[in-house]
Amino acid sequence: MNSIDQLRQQQTRRAVLEGSTLGLGAMALSQLSAPASAAEKPRHPNGGLQGLPHSPPRVRRVIYLFQSGGPAQMDLFDYKPGLHRRFGEEVPTSIYPDERKTTMTSGQSSFPVAPSALRFRQYGDSGTWLSEPQKHLSEVVDDICVIRSMYTEAINHDPAATLFQTGSVIAGRPSMGAWVSYGLGSENANLPAFVALTSNGTGKQGQPLYDRLWGAGFLPGRFQGVKFRGQGDPILDLYNPQGMTREQRRRTLNSLQKLNAQQAGRFNDPAIATRIAQYELAFRMQMSVPELIDVQSEPKNVLDMYGPEATQVGKYAYNCLLARRLAERGVRFIQLYHRGWDAHGNAPRGVASQCRDTDQPTAALLKDLKQRGMLEDTLVVWGGEFGRTIYCQGKLTRTNYGRDHHPNCFTYWMAGGGVRGGMTYGATDEYSVNVVENPVHVHDLQATILHQLGINHERLTYRFQGRHYRLTDVHGNVVNDVLS
Amino acid sequence: MAMCDKLLLNMSTIQNNSLPMTRLLTFGPDALPDPIGVAPQTRRLLRRKFAALVFGLALFALLLPTIEAGDLEFTRDIRPILSDACYTCHGPDPEARATELRLDDRASALASAVFSSGEMLRRLTSKDPDLRMPPVDSNRVLSNADRSTLTEWLKVGADWPEDDRHWAFIPPQRKPLPTTSRRDWTQNGIDHFILAKLEASKLHPSVAADRATLLRRVTFDLTGLPPTIEELDAFLNDNSDSAWETVIDRLLASDRYGEHMALDWLEASRYADTDGYQNDRLRYMWVWRDWLISALNSNMPFDRFVTEQMAGDMLPDRNFFTQVATGFNRNHRINSEGGSIPDEWAVEYVADRVETMGTMFLGLTMTCSRCHDHKYDPITQQDFYSLFAFFNNIDEAGLGPNNGNSPPFIPVPKSWPNLSQKESEFVVPEPVKIKVVQTSVPRPQPGSPQTVMVLHELASPRPTYRLIRGQYDQPDKTQKLTPATPAVLSRWNDKWPRNRLGLAQWLMSPENPLTARVTINRIWQHYFGRGLVRTSENFGVQGEMPSHPKLLDWLATEFVRTGWDVKAIHKLVVMSATYRQSSIAAPALITRDPENRLLARGPRRRLSPFAIRDAALLHSGLLVEKIGGPSVKPYMPPGIWKSISNAKYVQDKGEKLYRRSMYTYWRRTVPPPTMMAFNAAARETCIVRTDETTTPLQALAMLNNVTFVESARFLAERMLRQDSSSPADRIDWAFRLVTSRAPQAGETELLKDDLAAYLRDFQAAPEAARRLLKTGEKPFSKGLDVPMLAAYTLVANTILNLDESMSQN
Repeated sequence: MNSIDQLRQQQTRRAVLEGSTLGLGAMALSQLSAPASAAEKPRHPNGGLQGLPHSPPRVRRVIYLFQSGGPAQMDLFDYKPGLHRRFGEEVPTSIYPDERKTTMTSGQSSFPVAPSALRFRQYGDSGTWLSEPQKHLSEVVDDICVIRSMYTEAINHDPAATLFQTGSVIAGRPSMGAWVSYGLGSENANLPAFVALTSNGTGKQGQPLYDRLWGAGFLPGRFQGVKFRGQGDPILDLYNPQGMTREQRRRTLNSLQKLNAQQAGRFNDPAIATRIAQYELAFRMQMSVPELIDVQSEPKNVLDMYGPEATQVGKYAYNCLLARRLAERGVRFIQLYHRGWDAHGNAPRGVASQCRDTDQPTAALLKDLKQRGMLEDTLVVWGGEFGRTIYCQGKLTRTNYGRDHHPNCFTYWMAGGGVRGGMTYGATDEYSVNVVENPVHVHDLQATILHQLGINHERLTYRFQGRHYRLTDVHGNVVNDVLS
Repeated sequence: MAMCDKLLLNMSTIQNNSLPMTRLLTFGPDALPDPIGVAPQTRRLLRRKFAALVFGLALFALLLPTIEAGDLEFTRDIRPILSDACYTCHGPDPEARATELRLDDRASALASAVFSSGEMLRRLTSKDPDLRMPPVDSNRVLSNADRSTLTEWLKVGADWPEDDRHWAFIPPQRKPLPTTSRRDWTQNGIDHFILAKLEASKLHPSVAADRATLLRRVTFDLTGLPPTIEELDAFLNDNSDSAWETVIDRLLASDRYGEHMALDWLEASRYADTDGYQNDRLRYMWVWRDWLISALNSNMPFDRFVTEQMAGDMLPDRNFFTQVATGFNRNHRINSEGGSIPDEWAVEYVADRVETMGTMFLGLTMTCSRCHDHKYDPITQQDFYSLFAFFNNIDEAGLGPNNGNSPPFIPVPKSWPNLSQKESEFVVPEPVKIKVVQTSVPRPQPGSPQTVMVLHELASPRPTYRLIRGQYDQPDKTQKLTPATPAVLSRWNDKWPRNRLGLAQWLMSPENPLTARVTINRIWQHYFGRGLVRTSENFGVQGEMPSHPKLLDWLATEFVRTGWDVKAIHKLVVMSATYRQSSIAAPALITRDPENRLLARGPRRRLSPFAIRDAALLHSGLLVEKIGGPSVKPYMPPGIWKSISNAKYVQDKGEKLYRRSMYTYWRRTVPPPTMMAFNAAARETCIVRTDETTTPLQALAMLNNVTFVESARFLAERMLRQDSSSPADRIDWAFRLVTSRAPQAGETELLKDDLAAYLRDFQAAPEAARRLLKTGEKPFSKGLDVPMLAAYTLVANTILNLDESMSQN
């Protein structure tokens, strides 16, 4: 028997052990490897857990446009015309108690109302209110469902972002994409199931991000998000060293395969067969990723739609376009982060500048998905880690103000499969300080996202430290009102 | 047919992952771990497979003595099922309890008469969804196998003994060594336990591994680096009886031992060079790491080792070094994000200390009881905050400084670690001074790079209260808590002071049922990849049962008996015949015991990310060995920090590129990606067990990462400098250097063909060769033939990428 036959036999044995019928070549990259232990649960050939999805999925994939820093709800979506006549008045402590103000403003002697300096208009058949820097979004406003009643407990960037991405303010839990990848596997054998992309607001020192936001936490490491990079190799170490050709790499891999197969035959250790398979996958990624990131191959009208930065690696526009290309290729969870929404000072200019970076590409992504018929089975989510205070941080004028972190209410929007486009959901009080109607907690949003993928958030659990953990901790209700 | 059905019945029990069911397989006196966590579909496959194989027939014989209901033991077989499926609503947490019924408390359960009345049996077997337990909306699943175990147990009288303590809460019992029929195999006590169980399972140990494999295995295990060719030759030529022991003593005496053993401790104690939140500011804790390496190398007894780290500032003989040791409890993350509410985060740090202590020494998950009584283990919320009280008196600030150490810290003399008598004395840290800067962010004074963080008590203790739902701003002020340990564990001796020093004494007391076991288990995991208790972080009711409980206890008592002599325990393990077995196994054995829990073969594992890089540097001659000192910044991908944060990674130059990986700068929010790709712990929280997955990202790193390509370049230079100019000799030398074994002729031939092909390529394109040789900072040696060196580089790259090169066989 030659070594490759031995290897095949190994694979068969391994398949028996794992309850999978995968051959060497068909193993999905989403799996990124064999189960870490034989105690792991059985999986479908695409790497998804058996028994999932729990219900017929409404969407096949999620694109989450995370707006890092905390966009100001009252400067973007949560229109409060009545506040103009309260300009400079103190926000009553009955509305905004002192206890949960951050230490950046809790020492202020005054908490004056800073009405939005931006003009609002109603758009679309739905008459959804948007501030003026969002003119591109206004063109697709009937496709989005604006949720004005989001709230969280965390008031600092790090814990708040960590809560949105992992369901807990404390580090160590798996990110949402990792849960989805763990539960559903991938639809593409040559790409990861979960990809993270980052960009920074022009001229901004944005809030930092952390690897844990797309990490696997206590799930096996292969479920972590693969970060596509804006500098150097698009995926870490993707390219061969300088001076080495693809043919030479192939030769190296051929020899590795033969030599490793001999070892596999000797030790009967399934881990060796897995390693051989992963080297082959790496080689295929070396082929498929450059093709994937070649956005120049897009027709001009598409590039124009995303705007002038569509071909600039690492920009938000480029990432939006890449998100669509990843979605087309079956990537399950595409997580974008755009930094720069923090607004302790110069908030009106900050919002306008952030919208200049993001408004057109975001709208283009929706249009592009729609024109390809992909919006029906894609869920697009837009939002940050918290909102901002109606009271001014620092000096207040009619045209300028700063806003501190505000967890009690802020705005998210969703679009795509199964979402009620054109809807505005939930409401805040006249100051945009507290939710007064249909509150949606972080865990509710997470439950809803999973639900659209056909996952019951209470049933996708993983046992760690003797406990069955899940994304939504012990909370979360699907927000059925926003679903069609 | 009856026999076959019996088999199927037994196979269906295997699906359950919880250990006790495997007891039904009656493999031996100890519970056998679940051999395979298999799906129904797989079980069908397995059935077919077993039916077809002679091997399967052998298994029949083993499986024949099947379920004997009388065999069911409550604590081992029943409670874990109840715990997982029922305790969420019928467990220790009163707030979560759905009805009066408690299945965690013997008196209460018996009084309820659910067992004797047939009520529980009805609820388990009913088809009516309104009656059937557990209810669908509980999201608890009871597998068919577990259900039948419970019904079986109920039918034979539901025996629930009066002493129903969880095994891990009973102090270890030292049992005599079991007798075995085979007498010529055992080397020490460990082997008696392993062999007895193998014999009961009708299995045989494997032959000893060949000497080269053994030397590689033990050298990596004890020092994190491979043996040199000289060391290999010396061992192969040493025919004395004590050859193996000589090697072990040499390795235990090597300074590399302390560096290597420190790694597990660094990961568990969440050591890093930054604070870990938001901007992830800098801190300086390497002096504590130096202390750690030195303590391990000097074989400080484990009780002293723990006591210094828990309470080095309180010891009667305290000094500067014992004070540095307390940095262990300062390695947690510290939030320095502007705007944070200090009280909220101060609570977080203290809780982290409790949780880390719980995981590292007690093998218990304390996190649950932070917000409510534990749902599975008898640890109450009051227990949590009583432990919390031990750590709540540190003179510290809730918000970290903007870069630098957070108080309390002490200045480190320039002469560290060679301190004068005077410098070795205990230092009183400067008290915390909160300054409100900028808008109103209250920050403490920062410690300079020439300081290290320590523990130091406040003059008057902070009051500790139970926090309702774990919320920092909701203390239950009706009761002030004093420091105390959980009642379910060993008793408190009134001679001990009610402070961290007393806590250390309680942890290290021989009556403590957990500390020695949990530590031994991690040591076992270090060598065999899995602990005797697979869930090394959880010895509680929801944890797995030990595969060899008597061995675990024997080792735990041996540890205490030898005065907590750590090196002696390491030596005991590697001297055992169990450790020395070959890892080559027949397919039948792999199928039978894929995770090698029975240890009928030696351990075969992928190397740690640290060892993989260090070995490549050693092979290439690039490794710079220097013990201790501040962290270094080797190669990283471009923009590694800047792309997602506001800090810039400034790579080091020269020898700092080639230090051992344990010294690599660890930024918590952006940890070194190559280390992470190979499953290093992220250092955000206490992690004592990481998985070992294989991914294409690992392949890309090994093939293309600058560190590994540069290592290949310099391995190629060493190949070219060999005495022989024959390509085959050079390849053989490098192959043996990297894998610790000589290649077979076919293997050499294959690589020789590659070499010739690469050489042709590069001779035709010398510019490409030059470009390849520019990978990494260290220039290639003048006078070497460029296409030749490039061709050898690619062969070296191949050798470094062999599965064998990153494994211990």
